[in-house]
Amino acid sequence: MLESNSVQFFVPKTNGGADMATAVIMPRQGNTVESCVVSKWHKKKGDKVNIGDILFTYETDKATFDEEAKTEGILLETYFEEGDDVPCLLNMCVIGEPGEDISSFAPDGAKSVNEETEKPKEDIKEEIKAQTDTLSAQTYGSDGLKISPRAKALAEKTNVDVSYANATGPNGRVIERDIQVLAKEGLKVTPAAKASYDQTASYNPTGIGGRVTEDDVKRGSIIETVAPVETKAVAVTEYTEEKLSNIRKLIAKTMHASISEMAQLTMNASFDATSIINFRTMVKANSERLGLANITINDIVIYAVAKTLLAHKDLNAHFNGESIKRFNAVNMGVAIDTPRGLMVPTVFNSDKKSLNDISAEVKDLAGRCKSGNISPDLLTGGTFTITNLGNLGIESFTPVINPPQTAILGVCGLVTRVKDENGQVKPYQAMGLSLTIDHRVVDGAPAARFLKDLCANLENFEILLAK
Amino acid sequence: MKYDLIIIGGGPAGYLGAERAAAKGMSVLLFEKRNLGGVCLNEGCVPSKALLYSAKIYDYTKHSEQYGVKVTGSSLDQETVIKRKNKVVKTLVTGVKGALKKHNVTVVEKTARIEKKSVEGFVVSADNEFYTGDRLLICSGSEPIMPPIPGLLEGYQKGFVLTNREILDLTKIPETLVIVGGGVIGLEMASYFNSAGSKVTVVEMLDKIGGPIDDEIAELLRREYEKKGITFNLGCKVTSFTEKSVVFEKDGKTFETDAEKVLVSIGRKPSTKDLGLENIGVEKDKRGAIITDSMGRTNVAEVYAAGDVNGVSMLAHTAYREAEVCINNITGKKDVMRYSAIPSVIYTNPEVASVGETEATAKQKNMDFESVTLSMKFSGRYVAENEGGNGICKVLRDKRTNRIIGVSLIGNYASELIYGAAMMIETQMTVEDLKELVFPHPTVCEILREALFAF
Repeated sequence: MLESNSVQFFVPKTNGGADMATAVIMPRQGNTVESCVVSKWHKKKGDKVNIGDILFTYETDKATFDEEAKTEGILLETYFEEGDDVPCLLNMCVIGEPGEDISSFAPDGAKSVNEETEKPKEDIKEEIKAQTDTLSAQTYGSDGLKISPRAKALAEKTNVDVSYANATGPNGRVIERDIQVLAKEGLKVTPAAKASYDQTASYNPTGIGGRVTEDDVKRGSIIETVAPVETKAVAVTEYTEEKLSNIRKLIAKTMHASISEMAQLTMNASFDATSIINFRTMVKANSERLGLANITINDIVIYAVAKTLLAHKDLNAHFNGESIKRFNAVNMGVAIDTPRGLMVPTVFNSDKKSLNDISAEVKDLAGRCKSGNISPDLLTGGTFTITNLGNLGIESFTPVINPPQTAILGVCGLVTRVKDENGQVKPYQAMGLSLTIDHRVVDGAPAARFLKDLCANLENFEILLAK
Repeated sequence: MKYDLIIIGGGPAGYLGAERAAAKGMSVLLFEKRNLGGVCLNEGCVPSKALLYSAKIYDYTKHSEQYGVKVTGSSLDQETVIKRKNKVVKTLVTGVKGALKKHNVTVVEKTARIEKKSVEGFVVSADNEFYTGDRLLICSGSEPIMPPIPGLLEGYQKGFVLTNREILDLTKIPETLVIVGGGVIGLEMASYFNSAGSKVTVVEMLDKIGGPIDDEIAELLRREYEKKGITFNLGCKVTSFTEKSVVFEKDGKTFETDAEKVLVSIGRKPSTKDLGLENIGVEKDKRGAIITDSMGRTNVAEVYAAGDVNGVSMLAHTAYREAEVCINNITGKKDVMRYSAIPSVIYTNPEVASVGETEATAKQKNMDFESVTLSMKFSGRYVAENEGGNGICKVLRDKRTNRIIGVSLIGNYASELIYGAAMMIETQMTVEDLKELVFPHPTVCEILREALFAF
């Protein structure tokens, strides 16, 4: 089922005698994805391409993907640049043999990125006019300006002069928000300074209303100031600065919304892990013989939670502030640590799956997350989330709920504790569980009851398996 | 009580700064040692305008015949003129007091001195009382320059030599008046006392009058006043004052002119003595002006200065804006002071107004410009109201950017229309855009529109 998402679409267009060239399109990653941003080109125009070479990396707001070449030849043309937001299924580039006619592959209205035209301004303006109604993938404005297709479309809609947009996209590219700012606030430059104004430069505006004046343009970014003598220079610490990836931005937004909107309450409990440790040891010793996956402690916890949750549906729910949606199946979100940041793929209907199935599925999902080619559709739809920091020695923590879910379970590490058994002090392995609930809809006692049931099921895991 | 802001000086920069700061929620303490409103309101811009208007009405009666109105027996009663001037000043000073009170500004009408910077803030004393504030805004203004010329000080003490302060209170028109310094103040007073009946002589060190105004306009103004009977001695250096005359040199020759009164108006210098600036280490230049940056900051953190005291422009309207820049920066709104479009006016009859560059300054700056000079007669209203008027309007255009960089005018209403030219310069609009503006007809300001279409 996952294959269809990573399949590369080839849209070979025949064009007279030249029918060898092959176009590579921007794949559609999931049903809800309309466009993707080109993060990096790994090949450039004129490069030799072999099957399996990575052509470009692109990202949705949830994940990053590499696009591999499925055909070999020369990269004859690329239609978009890094930072462009490209509608899905548009041609990204063409692979073929030198000399082939590839003119028919250009996305509607697109110009070659590498092709600098020397046409008089008037001609270009007319051309742009002619393209107004088409979904334009034009990457150059009237003055060789770099602009994303969405920005260009908005500029046409709002009737702003794109050449005055303050480009904040990668490589001095004008992107949609630049046009939004320009349309809303107007150009912060005086008419006389317009001619020499460079929208990619940053000036120190001294003009009326904070406008850039002609003198500011001449001056560059220096402003005359008398340094106050009492101001002491702050020691400069070396640092590196990195723009956030879309994934990081999404995590930041979601986590902040979670904490600011909910009444989160975390409760900690621990259970005697002897039963699950013994079970895992037994499975491990016999996995090959029984054809079982390498079942981990985390898989066991996931399985136990899935089996326990449906008796506590307030925790297997979505809450939007108005109403609560209690689910009859457990779609388990499993937090995965990846080089790109936290990702939470979903094990759908985990309550109906066997421990072995869950184990295999979690491994598959984790692998896709780490390699960055998971379908965005598998990153949504969770009804509850499990996050595990146990292998890093954490004894208890406060997991943050993934909205609109109502609870999240943190799995902690094993610690040796002692208990009194018939007057004898007996050591045992205890495992901590940290449950965060949204106290707006879930009260403390019902949540504690869920934890109690969960601990009981984990302490008597073999009985749970038998149920 | 500790104040957010202590302002020293209650002139245009001080009182406006106080109002703006208080309006933004700061607790403000304002010190004024003489009169609220400062020189501008009490002994400068405003009272001189009251006098000049009386002179203008009197001039009308004398020249009304060419407009078909016959007036006989008109005379100017100086005592009434001064009384009316005092009433105008009182009304406006009361207005300033009211505005400060409305904004809850604490006003202390005493001489202030900065004592030190403590952990609490800046400590300022007045009459052995101590006040503390987080920030200082220094608006102590300026005073007339009194050069060390023999006889000057004695003459001043005896009431023979006057400054702008004393001359505005003269209740008797002197038969002869010598004015040393042909700048704005000198020319306005020359204009008034000429109309009022004095025999006026102007002695100016430079070879033109009006300071930085356009050369051609300065020449026109001088000829206009020579026709009215004023004597101009240009390129002359005053060497001494006797008890009844002024002695000056020109080209090595010595001249002496008798005078009943003498006005010394050769310029003004920042008032920074005895403020205690050295106690907190505020830096001054060699003229004694406080050095500020484009945001109004001095070299000491949280100490700002605005108005004549920084020695930059020495005009009340510049002071207003400088004070606003300071308050904006103090309250966290970044603002910078621009001096490129500050209008200046000489309220003579005819009025002279200018803003931005003159041909001389534009040349000096190596600007690529062209200028258009039009007779004010291109304005219908000017012709209708100025029998025999020969005013001009001069507009400078930067060829590279096609924007207006300077406007100079001589002719009545110039003072009221110059702000329009200032807007053209400040906003850096292009001539092409400005041509789309609609001016009311018939008005004198249409001359600007005419000039735009001459490019």
